Amino acid sequence: MKTALRSFLPFLIFVACLTFHDARGIASAGEIDANALLKAIDDNLWSETKFVEGRLVIDNGRKERELAFDSWLEGREKGYTHYKAPPREAGTKMLKIQDKLWMYTPQTDRKILIAGHLLRQSMMGSDLSYEDMLEDTKLSSAYGAKVEKVEDVDGFPSLVLHLTAHDETITYQSRRVWTDPEKKIILREERYAKSGMLLKKVDFAGYAQIKGRLFPRSLTFRDMLKENTHTTYHFDVIEFDVPIPEKYFSLSILKR
Amino acid sequence: MISKIAWKNFYRQGLRAFLNVLVTALSIIAIIFNISLLNGFQAQATRNMVVSDVAGGHYLVPGFDLLTPTEWEDHTRPVPSELRQMPRSETAEVLVQQGQIFPRNRLYPVQLRGVEMEQSLLDLPMDALKSQPAEPGDYIPAVLGTKMAEKAHLRKGDTVVLKWRDRFGAVDAREIKVVEVAYFLNPRIDEGIVWLRLDHLRSITRREGEISWVAVDRYRGPVEGLRSETVEELMADLLAMLKQDRRNSKILWTILIFLAGISIFNTQILNVFKRQKEIGTLMAFGMEPGQIVRLFALEGVYAALGALIVAAVLGVPFFTWFQSVGFDVTHLKETAIPVHEKVFLDIRPGEVAVTGVTVFAIMVAVAWLPVRKISRLEPTAALRGKAIA
Repeated sequence: MKTALRSFLPFLIFVACLTFHDARGIASAGEIDANALLKAIDDNLWSETKFVEGRLVIDNGRKERELAFDSWLEGREKGYTHYKAPPREAGTKMLKIQDKLWMYTPQTDRKILIAGHLLRQSMMGSDLSYEDMLEDTKLSSAYGAKVEKVEDVDGFPSLVLHLTAHDETITYQSRRVWTDPEKKIILREERYAKSGMLLKKVDFAGYAQIKGRLFPRSLTFRDMLKENTHTTYHFDVIEFDVPIPEKYFSLSILKR
Repeated sequence: MISKIAWKNFYRQGLRAFLNVLVTALSIIAIIFNISLLNGFQAQATRNMVVSDVAGGHYLVPGFDLLTPTEWEDHTRPVPSELRQMPRSETAEVLVQQGQIFPRNRLYPVQLRGVEMEQSLLDLPMDALKSQPAEPGDYIPAVLGTKMAEKAHLRKGDTVVLKWRDRFGAVDAREIKVVEVAYFLNPRIDEGIVWLRLDHLRSITRREGEISWVAVDRYRGPVEGLRSETVEELMADLLAMLKQDRRNSKILWTILIFLAGISIFNTQILNVFKRQKEIGTLMAFGMEPGQIVRLFALEGVYAALGALIVAAVLGVPFFTWFQSVGFDVTHLKETAIPVHEKVFLDIRPGEVAVTGVTVFAIMVAVAWLPVRKISRLEPTAALRGKAIA
């Protein structure tokens, strides 16, 4: 009897831990203010200025392309990205000021304004549209959140929030985010069409502590209407609240 | 008397004269065939476009350009009351929006074209949509052209996800069901187009009562808030192509006439050279050089007249037969040219007359030019056959 109990003990402890872990999540789920959590998540992600050195890996199911880039971001409205590799894309620059995006390619030596409906086109063949990339609205200001359920993500319980857009001009009228309410981070996000059809899935991974913030090292976007495609942002270097020269957000930067 | 001698001389040339006549006659037939075929092609293309798309012209929302899909959503507006009140047999409301379908999970950008079901102005194979309810149910019914269905790998009864934006910019997606794969004679309204009921397209894009253009049976004068385009303006690219074809056919026309002309010109030069003694004899008998020139020129005129007669004798049965079989242009199915069926000649009497008269005049001219030198011949040298080296 003792032997049997001894052999089952680790299993019982494991089950007890799981139960406690889930029970803790479910117990606290009812008390959590979903909108406050969303705001806390935004506050963690957004900063005054940001510098990111990273890679954009575009896998269209047949071929994988990797683009290296440096990005400087100021608030939610200004952003400048300089692509460094591969040679074909090297020197390509993108400047975002509010809802306008200019693109410069060294091959043509011209800057093109990508505005209006052009923003809805796929960005460099990726699963993101230019509009997705330009997204500058904080989730907490664009959406109202409701706690939906507790669900495991990679073996950990996460609080699922259902977001409904306040305004009918918001591209995705509803989203679902899997959050870690303790760490105030998003683990996974789903974006839906007005009809409720799932359109895009984003996985946030590799959270690291940077200057007191938890920031994901990679974001993987999947267009759920396409097959075997995904686009991953890898953030190799992230610096918050860095001084950015004013010329980086001027059209004059868009040249060789 | 001169005409009698000329006819005898012409007749005695035998095979040489007959070949001249035949070449010229065939040239006339080829020219008329070429012009009439282009006429027929243009007439059929115009007819196909008018009945399926262009009608008697369009009233478009200012700024709307079918070739700029990224701006379609910015250029829609409610139908003006004067057009809305017109009978459905005289107008057809059309709304065009951008969309994306995902056959086999691959992105395929499409034009969503909504046309009202009550209209009878345009001849479109929309019967399968007419029987659908005004509000879409579990799926949005759609009609595809055969080319579109083939390229998107879709068949009747298939469902596929359609993604679009509503008027506020919110993205939406639902399944559409292909309720019919229809044959469109006009490829411009087939490839890349997903046909929907107008009320469905308006409902899913939240553009109640809006249009991109209204097709009308004929120009109704200015309509406030819309700009008009005529049939010619709407078919400008096709007409420009046909104009270029006509220009190219003139090169062929010139080559044919040149060959026929050269043939007669050569015959006349040979006549003057070989018949020097005859010319000298006629001069010795007291015939004026001018009369001899007329005699030789008249032989050329007989050749031209003979060509017209032979062209009529050979051409009439040929054109009659051709009109019963037509010219097969099914190979154009893969192009955007709105003619897939057989093309028939559109023979216009005016053009036939002009062609006949022009060829006749050119033939007379080339028959006269070489014989002018007869007036300068020395009768004695001509009698010896040494007037022309």
